[in-house]
Amino acid sequence: MEDQDRKKVILTLRWTAIIVTSYLILFGRGRVTDLQLSHLLIAVYLLSNVLLTFVPKKWFSNTKLFYPLVLFDTGIVSFGMYLSEKMTTDFYLVFFLIIIFASISRNFKMLMVIGGITALLYGILLYSWGLLITEDSSSYTLRIPFIFIMTAFYGYIVQTLTKEKRQELTISEDKYRGLFENANDGIILLRNPQLIVVDVNREVEKAMGYTKGELLQREVFDLFVPEEMEESRDYFKEVTEKGEGRADCLSLMKKDGSLLEVDLSTKRIDLGDESFYQIIFRDLTEQRRLEKKIRQSKRNLEAIFDGIRDQLSIQTPDYQIFRVNRAIIENYKLTYKELFGRKCYEVYFQRTLPCEKCPISVTIETKQPASSIMKLSERDTTLQIFSYPILDEKGELASVIEYMKDITEEQRLHEQLIQSEKLAGIGILASGVAHEINNPLSGIIGMAEIALEEEDPSKIRSYLTDIINCSERISEIVRGLKSYSRAAKKGELGLVDINEVLEESLKMVRLATKKTPVEVIKKFQSIEKIQANMGEIQQVFTNLITNAFQAMDGKGGNLVLSTRSLKDSVEVKVSDHGVGIPQKYLNQIFDPFFTTKNPGEGTGLGLNIVYRIVTKYEGTIDVESKEQVGTTFTIKFPTRRVEV
Amino acid sequence: MKRKVLIADDEEVIRKFLRIHLDKLGYEVMEAADGEQAIEQLGKDDFDLLICDIMMPKKDGWEVIKEVKSNPKTKNLPVIVLTAKNEDPDMFKGYDLGANYYITKPFTKGQLLYGLKLMLEEPASSL
Repeated sequence: MEDQDRKKVILTLRWTAIIVTSYLILFGRGRVTDLQLSHLLIAVYLLSNVLLTFVPKKWFSNTKLFYPLVLFDTGIVSFGMYLSEKMTTDFYLVFFLIIIFASISRNFKMLMVIGGITALLYGILLYSWGLLITEDSSSYTLRIPFIFIMTAFYGYIVQTLTKEKRQELTISEDKYRGLFENANDGIILLRNPQLIVVDVNREVEKAMGYTKGELLQREVFDLFVPEEMEESRDYFKEVTEKGEGRADCLSLMKKDGSLLEVDLSTKRIDLGDESFYQIIFRDLTEQRRLEKKIRQSKRNLEAIFDGIRDQLSIQTPDYQIFRVNRAIIENYKLTYKELFGRKCYEVYFQRTLPCEKCPISVTIETKQPASSIMKLSERDTTLQIFSYPILDEKGELASVIEYMKDITEEQRLHEQLIQSEKLAGIGILASGVAHEINNPLSGIIGMAEIALEEEDPSKIRSYLTDIINCSERISEIVRGLKSYSRAAKKGELGLVDINEVLEESLKMVRLATKKTPVEVIKKFQSIEKIQANMGEIQQVFTNLITNAFQAMDGKGGNLVLSTRSLKDSVEVKVSDHGVGIPQKYLNQIFDPFFTTKNPGEGTGLGLNIVYRIVTKYEGTIDVESKEQVGTTFTIKFPTRRVEV
Repeated sequence: MKRKVLIADDEEVIRKFLRIHLDKLGYEVMEAADGEQAIEQLGKDDFDLLICDIMMPKKDGWEVIKEVKSNPKTKNLPVIVLTAKNEDPDMFKGYDLGANYYITKPFTKGQLLYGLKLMLEEPASSL
């Protein structure tokens, strides 16, 4: 009921009660012992209701207001009755009857009917006794509406109170039921101390496969798997002692006999004089399955991590090692404990600061993978180091994986390949050179034979001059070969002047390709020397210049060799006006064994070796070519190269 | 009538001593310093023998031999290949193209005379 209505109804009822009571006192014409007291009483009653009009509406919804109100009104009315002295015993009886009716009644309408009947019966009674025709009849007549009004008043108040209470109960019951039934966890209510199931929620039915009816009245231990009887008894013993308890190692038994691993939490609940245990459990089957899966995938990853024969180490962004694979433990002969927390550069490279070319530093800075090659001269080892970032959910760098691959053997094979290509190159060169030598040699033999048969000294002199010229040509070729083989020796790293190398290479190639009508244009700038193996750099340019000459074979043209300095590198261009490279071959020319030459004329390794050598020194090589126009190779070598 | 021999070689000193030998043997000698000149000479005159180098500028010896052997007028002209290319594949290539004899540089007078005898005094063209 609305607060507004409630206040109005109570005030109206009270006004009516006041009027009726006042009439009873004033017009009862009884022996009012103390008229003044009667007037005071009426005034107090009136005042109380006037004051009540100022009470805020919402107070009327508080049942606590009703108790003093009922007490007060009952007191006033009883006192008024006493003062009028006309109230005979029967009236008191009726009054208290009204209070009893009102207290026990649950239905307002029924109460009003009862009030009406009582008033009617009382009226009939008075009439039959002839009291309504005496001189005091008015006081008797007034009793009838009084009965009715008082019934209504008390009835309303009692009704309101009980209704309120019932409503509250219904609401809290509904709330609890809702929570209970819709919980995602299974809830079982047990009666204390028998530990017998008195209620279960839907989740329990779903998880265990039983219906509620099948579970009610069963002892709680019946719900657990028989093998864990001991443990479940221990658990409930603890719960009854402490009033609550948790367990995550018990399993319930489903109707089909299978296990239900659960996380249990039990608590005692006291409701009035009854006591219960509330068990809340969560199905752990899925969680356990996931845990198992996670453990398995973790084991798999660990096996892969440890199975990789290259060294893997995970570092924090401040270079501290926190995870390494077996290859590292075996290689450095240190235990994990000895490695943990130490800086990677201290352990792996015996340094006090991060390595200058460290890819981890790059990854820390950019959050991108990086790589570099480190030569460890003291261990005679070459490592290729890759670093990969591990990011957290926010995209921040959590750690860095360092992957160290020992490429010493690979490097050695690479060098071997270069060497063997060099030998093959020398072979091809040698046949060219042999041809160059055979011509003057034929001249020498032929002229000598003629000179032997000739008698004219002037003619002999002319023949001998020819022989000397031929011999000089041969010795020139031999000198060139010598300088080439000197450069081709397996050399250590040194500072290489590329301009000088270009001159040497050109001289060498010229020996074998004398007849190609090529004009060589040199555009050399003074450039920084690079740190490299002289022989390898010479091979790069010998190969490129040889190709250029071959491209212009029989056709002629210009060979342009140019060098210049860039910011961090030196650039070399080898340009020819030769036949050019067909577009379709451009992306294959650096592949090993790719050749368009006839068998026996080219190894298909020349440009591949060029590529490998250039990239070994972290240089780049680009090619531009147009058929029948020419080809330009552009090579750049970095000038700042730091070796560890 | 003197027999006519064409020497095609880019090496001057070789042409010089070949001419001396061939003069002495009584041949009429013509010279060409590259492949193009050789073809030109062959077109102008009738020859009894071609001595041809392989590595020549402008047009190499293989080209010259191909043209000689594919031309009906010169197809029976005996050809001696004179070359510094002394590997077997080169020699086979020479014979495949129709060369009749093969002399590798450096060579002696004896080797040359043997070749000449084979080509000119025997019925060489039928080889």
